[in-house]
Amino acid sequence: MCGIAGRICAPPGRVGHDLVELMQAQRHRGSDSTGFGLYGIPRDTGYVVRAVAAERSRLSTLLDSFLEATRAHGADFSADPTWDELSQKHVSVRAEITEPSDSVEAWLADADHIDGFEIQSVGRSLEIVKDLGDAYAVADKHGVRDFIGTHGIANARMATESFVSPTASHPFWARPYPDIAIVHNGQLTNYFLLTDKLVRKGYDFKTQNDSEVIAIWLSDQMAAGRTLVESLELSKTALDGCFTYILATPDTLGFAKDKFAIKPLVVVEEESGSVAIGTEEQAVRKVYRDEIDVINYDGPLISATWAVPQAVPA
Amino acid sequence: MSDRVEIIAGERPIREINREIRAAVAEGEPVVVRDTLSRHNLGIGLAEGADIRFEGSVGYYCGGLNNGGTVHVTRNAGWGTGEAMAKGHITVDGYAGMSVGASMRGGIIHVKGDAGPRCGVAMKGGDIVVEGTVGFLTGFMAHTGRIIAVGGAGEACGDSLWGGEVWVGGPIHSLGVDSKVIEPEADEVADVERLLASLGIDGSHDWKKIVSAQRLWHFESRDASAWLMI
Repeated sequence: MCGIAGRICAPPGRVGHDLVELMQAQRHRGSDSTGFGLYGIPRDTGYVVRAVAAERSRLSTLLDSFLEATRAHGADFSADPTWDELSQKHVSVRAEITEPSDSVEAWLADADHIDGFEIQSVGRSLEIVKDLGDAYAVADKHGVRDFIGTHGIANARMATESFVSPTASHPFWARPYPDIAIVHNGQLTNYFLLTDKLVRKGYDFKTQNDSEVIAIWLSDQMAAGRTLVESLELSKTALDGCFTYILATPDTLGFAKDKFAIKPLVVVEEESGSVAIGTEEQAVRKVYRDEIDVINYDGPLISATWAVPQAVPA
Repeated sequence: MSDRVEIIAGERPIREINREIRAAVAEGEPVVVRDTLSRHNLGIGLAEGADIRFEGSVGYYCGGLNNGGTVHVTRNAGWGTGEAMAKGHITVDGYAGMSVGASMRGGIIHVKGDAGPRCGVAMKGGDIVVEGTVGFLTGFMAHTGRIIAVGGAGEACGDSLWGGEVWVGGPIHSLGVDSKVIEPEADEVADVERLLASLGIDGSHDWKKIVSAQRLWHFESRDASAWLMI
């Protein structure tokens, strides 16, 4: 099943808080893991990195390896990395780095291949926080409610295609493209073929999850010159299965849906530009409590986009 | 102003709300439920004589397993409204989401707005009347029963029908797999018009009756391409 959500705050605001409420209301759709892709106020230079270290006991060694790989590309920590202080085996790490002197791709070719240290997102503004448990559990652990930003996406996962772990959950970052992520409700049946083609082109996949391919496939289309809208359009038939997914970039949220039209999407659009998206209307009512006009994107083969009002860089 | 028993839904547990509804019904009292917050599973398994009005929008499965109650939703309803109902009468003033009347066996569902995809999926009896248009795959695999779409029908109308009927008073976007339009008999039209008149709807339309073309009732290899479309 799975539940998904999206939120645009105009002006920038409590996007973390709102997404937590949208997701907690949909926890019955799957709460083995919950994840948030949050867009803060974008920086001019450098990146924020979210990662998971598989073993707490090895954290300092893994961070040293990551720093070494980063320094090899002319970048460095721009602030001390932070991590959760809980007793779980895995550790969620947040780091900020300066601009690599060559390219993000070259840096990731080294920094994203450290055994036991998996990068979950890289962005000027995107931060992906995903972990085991329902929305409140993940929010309590990672302080998601305090996140102020422009927009974001979220997912409550009921695993069908791969195992339950923080890294195999949503959102999926479009590795190696900064600031692009997706959340997905459904199952893809041709992901193996699509993944295989993209691997041959040099893309790097970290999980066996069917959804991971969506973000990378879309980014590959856009890198080849297609617009975001064209890529969404093409995905409706290029992806096979039943799906409704939300794509997030720094300036847009977009969604697309397959020909079977079985995965719902409910949207509230405000004149201000604020948008709330959920799989179920009752989730959207957590943000808009009063009776409000909702758009039900119920038909087959449909897509839409919403512009994110641009924030002034910090 | 209201002589109905008032129940405030809000954030309370659904079981508690449904218990209160059933208690009022047992006393023979009509009920109004407010602050519905588009929540799921409201008014499930209502007994004969129940009279419930939901002020606002409701979520999934409202009036499901209805066994003779009267339900009125004053705004929109979510997925599976009136699913598997045996008898009774459900009215939705606004939009009825996906799969309205799924697997219903009897009674009437009256939607004043539009209905979403798979309206009347696998229905086994009763009537669904939609004043607006019905969505994608309406009547999908309906065994028996009647879906009446006054305003028109979306894509793949009547897809894989078994013995059910879809009546359309407006334009049909496209027919589904193994469905065909046939000329209705005069007494059948009169029956549809009578039903609509009882709901206060003008039934004088150029009715198109969609039924199964019966090619999928038994598998034959020459029909493989039709099967592959499913």
